Amino acid sequence: MPWNKDFLGAALLLFSARLPLLGQAIPPVASPPNQAPAAQTPANPTSAPVQPEHMLLIMIDPAHGGSDSGAVFNPSLLEKDVTLGLSRRLRQELSTRGMPAQLLRDFDGTLSTDQRAAMVNAAHPALYLCIHATSQGSGMRIYTAMLSVGGDDHGPFLDWQTAQSALLARSRWAQQQLAASVQKTGFPVRSLLAPLRPLNNITIPAVAIEIAPTTGDVSQLASADYQQMITAALANSIASLMPALRSNLESATQ
Amino acid sequence: MIPRQFVIATVILFVLAIGMSIYVWQLRHREITAPRPARAAPVQHVTPPASGPTERVTVYVAYDDPGELRAQSISIPLSSGRQQRAEEILRGLLNVYLDKNSRHLMAAGAEVRDVYLVDPGLAVVDVNSALVDGQTSGVLAEELTVVSMIQTLSTNVFGLTRVKILVDGKERETLAGHTDLSEFYDVAQVAELAKQLSVQQ
Repeated sequence: MPWNKDFLGAALLLFSARLPLLGQAIPPVASPPNQAPAAQTPANPTSAPVQPEHMLLIMIDPAHGGSDSGAVFNPSLLEKDVTLGLSRRLRQELSTRGMPAQLLRDFDGTLSTDQRAAMVNAAHPALYLCIHATSQGSGMRIYTAMLSVGGDDHGPFLDWQTAQSALLARSRWAQQQLAASVQKTGFPVRSLLAPLRPLNNITIPAVAIEIAPTTGDVSQLASADYQQMITAALANSIASLMPALRSNLESATQ
Repeated sequence: MIPRQFVIATVILFVLAIGMSIYVWQLRHREITAPRPARAAPVQHVTPPASGPTERVTVYVAYDDPGELRAQSISIPLSSGRQQRAEEILRGLLNVYLDKNSRHLMAAGAEVRDVYLVDPGLAVVDVNSALVDGQTSGVLAEELTVVSMIQTLSTNVFGLTRVKILVDGKERETLAGHTDLSEFYDVAQVAELAKQLSVQQ
């Protein structure tokens, strides 16, 4: 029921995302009560307060799962399994670089796009990465939501369907930084918009990453070496984003 | 004493009932044992061929291999009505994809059933399930199909601002698991994506 979805979305966004930002012109993530106040952290006076460590969580979403297998590359190679394998490796790579990462699903189960968005928005990570895989093309594609920058939300409530609008400048900045960093490794990468859920409903910087084989052979997607190479490159790119995410993504976009 | 006519009528009815039962049983037996016909071909949406003069129109054609969208000029007969022209232009685009040399896979039988132009600026495109069922699953593969159709439509139909895509007259969540079909597409945003897809980065 549409009203049900809107109500759920509005309620979740109100309590999980928007309230901490009320009254702030630049929206860094607010300090929770048990953290030191932002003013006590050694900060550059021109930048926003340093975000608490736990706010630098990277949320990795292995797309599809359960009854939603995604693309069927061959009877024994499904997109949902490739995305889960890639996501687990990425989490490991991020952990070895000292960056906490969490998988939205670490099992083969079905999650709707609305459920995924609600879980991400409630967790307040610093960055959301949705992992997809494809047999088509070559290399990596990095997508941001196909929405208008800024959006037309007013007051504490966000429109569930366009909740990402207010964060789109940050997401596109992250997209550009990730693409530039991956490109330095010589790996083919493109930056594109995509009408892809749940990107539209996420209230933090959010990108989707689609991995394709470079050899034209789809079995490369399941290769441990290929997955290792891609996730290491991605983890290095994400690590390079962290200082900016930590200080203030908004000022970095200006 | 039962009247003789009543006995005769009852016997006749009884014999008829038995005869009908045997006949129905034979029909049923014949249906079960007879080989089933091959699965019926998908119902094609019958549309009258365009009868207007042939015109050149620009369509945006997807190329899977580099993941690009390229403008291409095609000649097709077009009607004078705005809505009919919109349908004919999209069917012209699909004909490009159904050609054996196409570099964007589309299943045989893929068709645009109808296009409805609703003022101000809304187009509702109704495609058939063959188009969706034959679509390659993937973010880029699916958005190439959607952007190709919407960019072609908005280039040739003046004043479009939003497009909604239906499948067999019904709403659908995604094209083939990725590209969102549940919302209205903003033509300006699609044009921005078409620009990205037209230039290989």
